[in-house]
Amino acid sequence: MQRELEAAGFTTITLTPVPDLTASVSVPRIAAIEYPLGRTLGAPCDAAGQMAVLEATLQALDTIRTPGEIVHLPFEWPQTPKEARADPPEPPPIGRYLARNPWFLPRLLSRSVPG
Amino acid sequence: MPKTVDSYRFISGLTKRMIRSWISLEQPRPIPWTPLSRPLSECTLALLSSAGIALKTDQPFDQEGERQNPWWGDPSYRVLPKTATAADVRLYHLHIDPSYAQQDLNCLFPLQHLQELESTGRIGRSSPRHYSIMGYILNPERLLRETVPALIRDLKADLADVVVLVPA
Repeated sequence: MQRELEAAGFTTITLTPVPDLTASVSVPRIAAIEYPLGRTLGAPCDAAGQMAVLEATLQALDTIRTPGEIVHLPFEWPQTPKEARADPPEPPPIGRYLARNPWFLPRLLSRSVPG
Repeated sequence: MPKTVDSYRFISGLTKRMIRSWISLEQPRPIPWTPLSRPLSECTLALLSSAGIALKTDQPFDQEGERQNPWWGDPSYRVLPKTATAADVRLYHLHIDPSYAQQDLNCLFPLQHLQELESTGRIGRSSPRHYSIMGYILNPERLLRETVPALIRDLKADLADVVVLVPA
Protein backbone atom coordinates (compact mmCIF):
# COMPACT_ATOMS: atom_id res chain seq x y z
CA MET A 1 0.00 0.00 0.00
CA GLN A 2 2.81 2.37 0.84
CA ARG A 3 4.24 1.84 -2.64
CA GLU A 4 0.89 2.69 -4.25
CA LEU A 5 0.50 5.87 -2.19
CA GLU A 6 4.03 7.04 -2.92
CA ALA A 7 3.51 6.35 -6.63
CA ALA A 8 0.29 8.41 -6.46
CA GLY A 9 2.30 11.45 -5.34
CA PHE A 10 2.30 11.30 -1.53
CA THR A 11 5.45 11.28 0.57
CA THR A 12 5.15 8.22 2.81
CA ILE A 13 6.85 6.56 5.75
CA THR A 14 5.97 3.39 7.64
CA LEU A 15 6.54 3.24 11.38
CA THR A 16 6.96 -0.50 11.85
CA PRO A 17 7.78 -2.89 14.68
CA VAL A 18 8.67 -5.58 12.07
CA PRO A 19 11.06 -3.76 9.71
CA ASP A 20 12.32 -7.01 8.11
CA LEU A 21 8.83 -7.70 6.77
CA THR A 22 8.12 -4.08 5.79
CA ALA A 23 11.44 -3.76 3.96
CA SER A 24 10.87 -7.02 2.07
CA VAL A 25 8.12 -5.36 0.01
CA SER A 26 10.40 -2.54 -1.24
CA VAL A 27 8.83 0.54 0.38
CA PRO A 28 10.36 4.03 0.14
CA ARG A 29 10.94 5.00 3.81
CA ILE A 30 10.92 3.03 7.06
CA ALA A 31 11.17 4.08 10.70
CA ALA A 32 11.81 0.88 12.69
CA ILE A 33 10.85 0.56 16.33
CA GLU A 34 11.38 -2.33 18.75
CA TYR A 35 8.00 -2.09 20.49
CA PRO A 36 5.30 -4.76 20.88
CA LEU A 37 2.44 -4.97 18.34
CA GLY A 38 -0.54 -2.86 19.27
CA ARG A 39 1.59 -0.19 21.00
CA THR A 40 3.72 1.04 18.13
CA LEU A 41 4.16 4.53 19.57
CA GLY A 42 4.24 3.63 23.23
CA ALA A 43 2.24 2.59 26.26
CA PRO A 44 -1.27 3.97 26.84
CA CYS A 45 -1.21 7.41 28.48
CA ASP A 46 2.57 7.83 27.99
CA ALA A 47 1.96 10.96 25.95
CA ALA A 48 5.57 12.15 26.13
CA GLY A 49 6.94 8.77 24.99
CA GLN A 50 4.43 8.52 22.13
CA MET A 51 5.22 12.07 21.01
CA ALA A 52 8.97 11.30 21.02
CA VAL A 53 8.38 8.34 18.68
CA LEU A 54 6.18 10.43 16.36
CA GLU A 55 8.75 13.25 16.32
CA ALA A 56 11.53 10.77 15.48
CA THR A 57 9.41 9.32 12.67
CA LEU A 58 8.84 12.77 11.17
CA GLN A 59 12.53 13.50 11.47
CA ALA A 60 13.27 10.29 9.55
CA LEU A 61 10.83 11.47 6.87
CA ASP A 62 12.97 14.57 6.54
CA THR A 63 16.39 12.90 6.61
CA ILE A 64 15.83 9.82 4.43
CA ARG A 65 17.13 10.62 0.95
CA THR A 66 17.56 7.15 -0.55
CA PRO A 67 14.57 5.00 -1.56
CA GLY A 68 14.28 2.01 0.77
CA GLU A 69 16.30 3.53 3.60
CA ILE A 70 15.53 2.35 7.15
CA VAL A 71 16.03 4.53 10.22
CA HIS A 72 16.30 2.41 13.38
CA LEU A 73 14.76 4.43 16.20
CA PRO A 74 16.75 4.24 19.44
CA PHE A 75 13.81 3.65 21.83
CA GLU A 76 13.82 0.66 24.21
CA TRP A 77 10.61 -0.95 25.49
CA PRO A 78 10.81 -1.03 29.29
CA GLN A 79 9.49 -4.61 29.66
CA THR A 80 10.64 -8.08 28.63
CA PRO A 81 8.64 -9.74 25.82
CA LYS A 82 6.94 -11.89 28.47
CA GLU A 83 5.94 -8.89 30.55
CA ALA A 84 4.80 -6.94 27.47
CA ARG A 85 1.82 -9.32 26.94
CA ALA A 86 0.83 -8.62 23.35
CA ASP A 87 -1.39 -11.66 22.72
CA PRO A 88 -4.92 -11.07 21.40
CA PRO A 89 -7.77 -11.90 23.83
CA GLU A 90 -8.96 -14.82 21.65
CA PRO A 91 -6.65 -17.03 19.54
CA PRO A 92 -6.61 -15.80 15.90
CA PRO A 93 -8.98 -17.78 13.64
CA ILE A 94 -6.10 -18.96 11.43
CA GLY A 95 -4.34 -20.51 14.45
CA ARG A 96 -7.44 -22.46 15.47
CA TYR A 97 -7.98 -23.52 11.86
CA LEU A 98 -4.43 -24.82 11.51
CA ALA A 99 -4.71 -26.72 14.79
CA ARG A 100 -7.55 -28.67 13.14
CA ASN A 101 -6.07 -28.72 9.61
CA PRO A 102 -2.28 -28.78 10.07
CA TRP A 103 -1.70 -29.85 6.45
CA PHE A 104 -2.71 -26.30 5.41
CA LEU A 105 0.34 -24.79 7.14
CA PRO A 106 2.47 -24.79 3.93
CA ARG A 107 -0.31 -22.83 2.20
CA LEU A 108 -0.11 -20.16 4.90
CA LEU A 109 3.69 -20.05 4.81
CA SER A 110 3.67 -19.70 1.02
CA ARG A 111 0.69 -17.29 1.20
CA SER A 112 -1.25 -19.31 -1.33
CA VAL A 113 -4.78 -18.68 -0.13
CA PRO A 114 -7.18 -21.59 -0.83
CA GLY A 115 -10.29 -20.92 -2.93
CA MET B 1 26.68 1.77 19.02
CA PRO B 2 23.50 2.78 17.15
CA LYS B 3 20.55 0.48 17.77
CA THR B 4 19.41 -2.05 15.20
CA VAL B 5 15.77 -3.00 15.71
CA ASP B 6 15.16 -6.72 16.21
CA SER B 7 11.98 -7.49 14.21
CA TYR B 8 11.33 -10.61 16.27
CA ARG B 9 11.85 -9.47 19.86
CA PHE B 10 8.12 -9.37 20.63
CA ILE B 11 7.02 -12.05 18.15
CA SER B 12 7.13 -15.82 18.57
CA GLY B 13 5.75 -19.14 17.40
CA LEU B 14 3.67 -19.39 14.27
CA THR B 15 3.68 -15.63 13.64
CA LYS B 16 7.47 -15.53 13.58
CA ARG B 17 7.67 -18.53 11.26
CA MET B 18 5.05 -17.01 8.97
CA ILE B 19 6.77 -13.64 8.77
CA ARG B 20 10.15 -15.23 8.00
CA SER B 21 8.56 -17.32 5.29
CA TRP B 22 6.70 -14.37 3.73
CA ILE B 23 9.90 -12.36 3.64
CA SER B 24 11.59 -15.17 1.70
CA LEU B 25 8.83 -14.99 -0.96
CA GLU B 26 9.62 -11.36 -1.84
CA GLN B 27 12.07 -10.10 -4.46
CA PRO B 28 13.43 -6.54 -4.41
CA ARG B 29 11.49 -4.24 -6.75
CA PRO B 30 12.10 -0.69 -8.00
CA ILE B 31 10.95 1.68 -5.24
CA PRO B 32 8.57 4.58 -6.04
CA TRP B 33 9.74 7.96 -4.74
CA THR B 34 7.98 11.25 -4.04
CA PRO B 35 10.31 13.70 -2.30
CA LEU B 36 8.85 16.17 0.19
CA SER B 37 7.67 19.11 -1.93
CA ARG B 38 7.87 21.61 0.93
CA PRO B 39 8.92 21.73 4.57
CA LEU B 40 6.88 19.66 7.06
CA SER B 41 5.77 22.92 8.66
CA GLU B 42 3.72 23.52 5.50
CA CYS B 43 2.54 19.94 4.89
CA THR B 44 -0.78 18.23 5.55
CA LEU B 45 -0.23 14.88 7.28
CA ALA B 46 -2.58 11.89 7.29
CA LEU B 47 -2.35 8.63 9.21
CA LEU B 48 -3.12 5.19 7.79
CA SER B 49 -3.39 2.34 10.28
CA SER B 50 -4.11 -1.35 9.80
CA ALA B 51 -5.41 -1.77 13.34
CA GLY B 52 -9.02 -2.01 12.15
CA ILE B 53 -10.11 1.27 13.77
CA ALA B 54 -13.70 2.38 13.15
CA LEU B 55 -15.92 5.01 14.70
CA LYS B 56 -18.52 3.43 16.97
CA THR B 57 -21.13 5.18 14.82
CA ASP B 58 -19.67 3.63 11.64
CA GLN B 59 -20.12 0.15 10.21
CA PRO B 60 -17.92 -2.37 12.07
CA PHE B 61 -15.22 -4.26 10.16
CA ASP B 62 -16.43 -7.80 9.41
CA GLN B 63 -14.67 -9.88 12.06
CA GLU B 64 -17.25 -12.65 11.86
CA GLY B 65 -16.31 -13.19 8.22
CA GLU B 66 -12.73 -13.91 9.27
CA ARG B 67 -13.89 -16.21 12.07
CA GLN B 68 -15.90 -18.18 9.48
CA ASN B 69 -13.11 -18.18 6.88
CA PRO B 70 -9.68 -17.55 8.43
CA TRP B 71 -8.12 -17.04 4.99
CA TRP B 72 -10.33 -13.99 4.42
CA GLY B 73 -10.09 -10.46 5.83
CA ASP B 74 -12.42 -7.47 5.38
CA PRO B 75 -10.72 -5.34 2.66
CA SER B 76 -12.73 -2.14 3.30
CA TYR B 77 -11.49 1.03 5.02
CA ARG B 78 -12.84 3.53 7.53
CA VAL B 79 -12.50 7.29 7.88
CA LEU B 80 -11.57 8.83 11.24
CA PRO B 81 -11.84 12.57 11.94
CA LYS B 82 -8.72 14.32 13.26
CA THR B 83 -10.38 14.81 16.65
CA ALA B 84 -11.27 11.13 17.28
CA THR B 85 -10.29 9.65 20.65
CA ALA B 86 -10.40 6.15 22.14
CA ALA B 87 -13.91 6.84 23.42
CA ASP B 88 -15.18 7.37 19.85
CA VAL B 89 -13.80 4.20 18.24
CA ARG B 90 -13.64 0.43 18.35
CA LEU B 91 -10.75 -1.71 17.13
CA TYR B 92 -11.41 -4.77 14.99
CA HIS B 93 -8.25 -6.85 14.80
CA LEU B 94 -8.02 -10.52 15.74
CA HIS B 95 -4.21 -10.70 15.77
CA ILE B 96 -3.22 -8.05 18.30
CA ASP B 97 -4.41 -7.10 21.78
CA PRO B 98 -6.64 -4.08 21.07
CA SER B 99 -7.14 -3.22 24.74
CA TYR B 100 -4.19 -0.80 24.91
CA ALA B 101 -5.41 1.37 22.02
CA GLN B 102 -8.97 1.05 23.29
CA GLN B 103 -7.67 2.78 26.40
CA ASP B 104 -5.55 5.38 24.56
CA LEU B 105 -5.80 5.51 20.78
CA ASN B 106 -2.52 7.43 20.56
CA CYS B 107 -0.48 4.33 21.35
CA LEU B 108 -0.97 3.28 17.73
CA PHE B 109 -2.86 6.16 16.06
CA PRO B 110 -1.42 9.44 17.34
CA LEU B 111 -4.19 11.89 16.34
CA GLN B 112 -3.83 13.93 19.51
CA HIS B 113 -0.09 14.37 18.97
CA LEU B 114 -0.62 15.43 15.36
CA GLN B 115 -3.01 18.12 16.59
CA GLU B 116 -0.37 19.28 19.03
CA LEU B 117 2.28 19.37 16.27
CA GLU B 118 -0.14 21.41 14.21
CA SER B 119 -0.67 23.91 17.02
CA THR B 120 3.09 24.33 17.58
CA GLY B 121 3.69 24.75 13.84
CA ARG B 122 5.96 21.68 13.50
CA ILE B 123 3.59 20.45 10.77
CA GLY B 124 1.29 22.48 8.53
CA ARG B 125 -1.84 20.67 9.62
CA SER B 126 -3.30 17.36 10.62
CA SER B 127 -5.48 16.17 7.77
CA PRO B 128 -9.24 16.58 8.40
CA ARG B 129 -9.57 12.83 7.77
CA HIS B 130 -7.40 9.84 8.70
CA TYR B 131 -7.80 6.23 7.67
CA SER B 132 -7.78 2.65 8.86
CA ILE B 133 -7.96 -0.76 7.26
CA MET B 134 -8.01 -4.11 9.03
CA GLY B 135 -4.73 -5.98 9.43
CA TYR B 136 -3.95 -9.53 8.35
CA ILE B 137 -5.42 -9.54 4.86
CA LEU B 138 -3.85 -12.69 3.43
CA ASN B 139 -5.13 -12.05 -0.07
CA PRO B 140 -4.66 -8.32 -0.75
CA GLU B 141 -6.18 -8.42 -4.25
CA ARG B 142 -9.41 -6.51 -3.44
CA LEU B 143 -7.57 -4.22 -1.06
CA LEU B 144 -5.25 -3.13 -3.87
CA ARG B 145 -7.91 -3.07 -6.57
CA GLU B 146 -10.71 -1.25 -4.69
CA THR B 147 -9.56 0.17 -1.39
CA VAL B 148 -6.27 1.75 -2.43
CA PRO B 149 -7.71 3.77 -5.36
CA ALA B 150 -10.56 5.01 -3.11
CA LEU B 151 -8.06 5.96 -0.41
CA ILE B 152 -5.95 7.84 -2.93
CA ARG B 153 -9.03 9.78 -4.06
CA ASP B 154 -9.86 10.70 -0.46
CA LEU B 155 -6.28 11.70 0.38
CA LYS B 156 -6.14 13.91 -2.71
CA ALA B 157 -9.44 15.53 -1.75
CA ASP B 158 -7.97 16.18 1.71
CA LEU B 159 -4.92 17.81 0.04
CA ALA B 160 -2.65 15.49 2.02
CA ASP B 161 1.09 15.73 1.27
CA VAL B 162 2.40 13.10 3.67
CA VAL B 163 1.01 9.73 4.78
CA VAL B 164 2.39 8.08 7.90
CA LEU B 165 1.56 4.37 7.84
CA VAL B 166 1.32 2.53 11.14
CA PRO B 167 0.85 -1.19 10.45
CA ALA B 168 -0.65 -3.39 13.14
